[in-house]
Amino acid sequence: MAINLPETDVVVVGLGAAGGVAVLPLAWAGLKVIGLEAGTWMNPGQDYKPDEIHNNVRALVTTGNKAGNEVPTFRTAPDQVARQQPRHPMMNAVGGTSIHYHAQSWRLNPWDFRVKSATIERYGKEFLPEGTTVEDWPLRYQDLEPFYDHIEYEVGVSGKAGNIQGKIDGTGNIFEGPRKRDYPMPPLRSCEFVDHMTQAARSIGFHPYRGPAAINSQPYQGRPGCAFHGWCDRGGCHIRAKSSTDVTTIPRAVSTGNLSVVDNANVRRIETDNTGKATGVTYFRNGKEYFQPARAVLLGTYAYENIRLLLLSQSAFHPNGLGNNRGQVGKHHFGHWDVQAGVAVSALFPFDINTWYGAIAQGVMVDDWADDNFDHKALGFIGGSTLHAYTEKHPIASAAMNTFGRVPKRWGSEWKRFIAENAGRWTTAYIQTNTFPYSNNWADLDPNVRDPFGDPVLRITAGPKLNEPKAASYASGKMIEWFRAAGATEIMGGQGGTGPALSTHAHGGTRMGLDPNTSVTNAFGFVHDCPNLGVIGGSVMGTAGARNPTQTIQALAWRTAEQLVRTLRRA
Amino acid sequence: MQKKSGGNLPAGRSMNRRELLQNGVKAGAVVLIPLVDTSCTTELPPPAVSTPLGSDNDRTLAAVADRILPADELGPSASAAGVVHYINRSLAEWNQTELPVLGKGLADLNEVAIARHLYEFSALTGEQQDVILTELEAGKLDKIVNGQALFNRLLRLTLEGMFSDPYYGGNAGYAGWDLIGYPGAVLASTPDMQKMRERLPMLHTSGHGAEHDGH
Repeated sequence: MAINLPETDVVVVGLGAAGGVAVLPLAWAGLKVIGLEAGTWMNPGQDYKPDEIHNNVRALVTTGNKAGNEVPTFRTAPDQVARQQPRHPMMNAVGGTSIHYHAQSWRLNPWDFRVKSATIERYGKEFLPEGTTVEDWPLRYQDLEPFYDHIEYEVGVSGKAGNIQGKIDGTGNIFEGPRKRDYPMPPLRSCEFVDHMTQAARSIGFHPYRGPAAINSQPYQGRPGCAFHGWCDRGGCHIRAKSSTDVTTIPRAVSTGNLSVVDNANVRRIETDNTGKATGVTYFRNGKEYFQPARAVLLGTYAYENIRLLLLSQSAFHPNGLGNNRGQVGKHHFGHWDVQAGVAVSALFPFDINTWYGAIAQGVMVDDWADDNFDHKALGFIGGSTLHAYTEKHPIASAAMNTFGRVPKRWGSEWKRFIAENAGRWTTAYIQTNTFPYSNNWADLDPNVRDPFGDPVLRITAGPKLNEPKAASYASGKMIEWFRAAGATEIMGGQGGTGPALSTHAHGGTRMGLDPNTSVTNAFGFVHDCPNLGVIGGSVMGTAGARNPTQTIQALAWRTAEQLVRTLRRA
Repeated sequence: MQKKSGGNLPAGRSMNRRELLQNGVKAGAVVLIPLVDTSCTTELPPPAVSTPLGSDNDRTLAAVADRILPADELGPSASAAGVVHYINRSLAEWNQTELPVLGKGLADLNEVAIARHLYEFSALTGEQQDVILTELEAGKLDKIVNGQALFNRLLRLTLEGMFSDPYYGGNAGYAGWDLIGYPGAVLASTPDMQKMRERLPMLHTSGHGAEHDGH
């Protein structure tokens, strides 16, 4: 029997990038909030090390038992048996994956919100990729703009505006949507390599800009500026300069007295009454089962677990899973077409570039070949990719470099001489491609593989895509041009990729929409058939931009939370 | 002296490193003479870890690692830089599940050497070792299933040992980081540490503090 706890206003499931942001507007509004987190608090001074074995080999920062126990299975066709994948770096902790992410913090391009109608308007209906289930978002860029602004100022984002209320500034991203005001902090410190790549991009007519980062470039809100020690990837920030939610929004919500954080809480079900409304959640903590009743529930775990928890939460009203009476939970799910899809271009320079230190977000970005920023008429695909040159390179990974065909073996004396000269002379560009939902790509419960509680894990089915590899390959060609202009002597890559298995940028599965027949959640992220259950996270996004999704996830979470404040006040 | 029992090596024909040094010219095994690491004035004590693979396999492992990263004018060999210490530590701590596969793989590799040359793998010439390793890498050794995977793992672990923080027992005297020009693990970098077109000054700093920096 579950132990019944006193009712609260809102229970938030998961205190990561999304839930960790949503708690702040809720707490500010005076609502009593319980935050349930499967992990616990990290200690920045103790848990984070400038050490590749610690972070990248042993994955000590990114390991969380719950996520590791429920890794999804994957297959590329419905007639295959899906296989459980190696564990992915989604993290259980207060702050979640915002602790060890690269903190590249973008607004989507306005085009991403209306891919379907914009494509039909500019190129005609037949130009939409075959098999896509893409729909316009139920909101526009301008609807989300105020919430992007909240995130940039309340979480803390460094960058340079390219479009303030229509006024274009070529030192920022000229392709971005109009914004009310500039970032609260200037871009992260540059370095010689970033300056060099910036000049090279300009020399061939591209429009480079310093990518925005949820990392302090200077002291902000009581936290110091970045120290550029080069261990952002899969490592937390030892000085709290990275704006992860455990050092930004969550402590501020706690300090209002309205948020209680419950750590090590494994949520297993969202409970509903006979009208289909959510009554609270059931969770396990230290071997005991609890029921936390609440007036409203916000589901803010990773995209995979958002989908799985809905499918597992079956009841008389929701026999096929919560919110799934029209079979939409898990549909329109997809992973981002980025390096995990096999898209990368690497370059070798004839001089030391020394990108050892810095941060992945200490980079320079080009949007010229992303979104709908160029004419696709003669190209036969929609979308494109952003191109990002960056710093932060770790010694083992550097020595394990591709030899660009310059030495016959990857071991021995000749190879040793090669890496001695070249380990500090190569880099890889990060290329992220607009990605869309398709009818051959979805998530459901796996019939064979279960977690330690006996619940099925999620199963991802992802058939081939045609549009995304074309777009990625085209943009990769531009990256090759950029590296060549920068003086690289060897360049490799440029293929369009074959698609991700598991993705750290998983999108969709509880898509937002106006039509309950093609979506799970409404324009504010609340489940159509369960209006006091909101979903926050990448699972509500119907398209992936050509960039990291976190800031959009956070802006949507803030918006969903504000809507919940209005709803609960009305009740 | 390690006798190879059960193999087809006649009694008394197995050689350890000391004997090889004595018979080096005859055996053509001069590459096995351990080089003194002159890049670091103080020598790291060998980390106090067990040798979970056993000394036979350790010898084979050292020989494999030293063909991946041989001693030369650029610096010491992998084993002289502590790579075997690192791999043993990883197998004792976080790579425990890998121990049986790796142990069997190394023993099998040694069997191949003995069957072919009547000497342990570690006693072969560099050229002989390279021929066997090249076949292993290509998955062409009949006696070793998943030879490619074994080679890839040995290669990867050797790189980890050579280029990881010296805290873990490899990269002794910062030999690995000196080789590739990685200055050292730091808690903050200056703009000067991000300069291009020149080799940066080596810092020789461990991410785990001065007590682990090997000096």
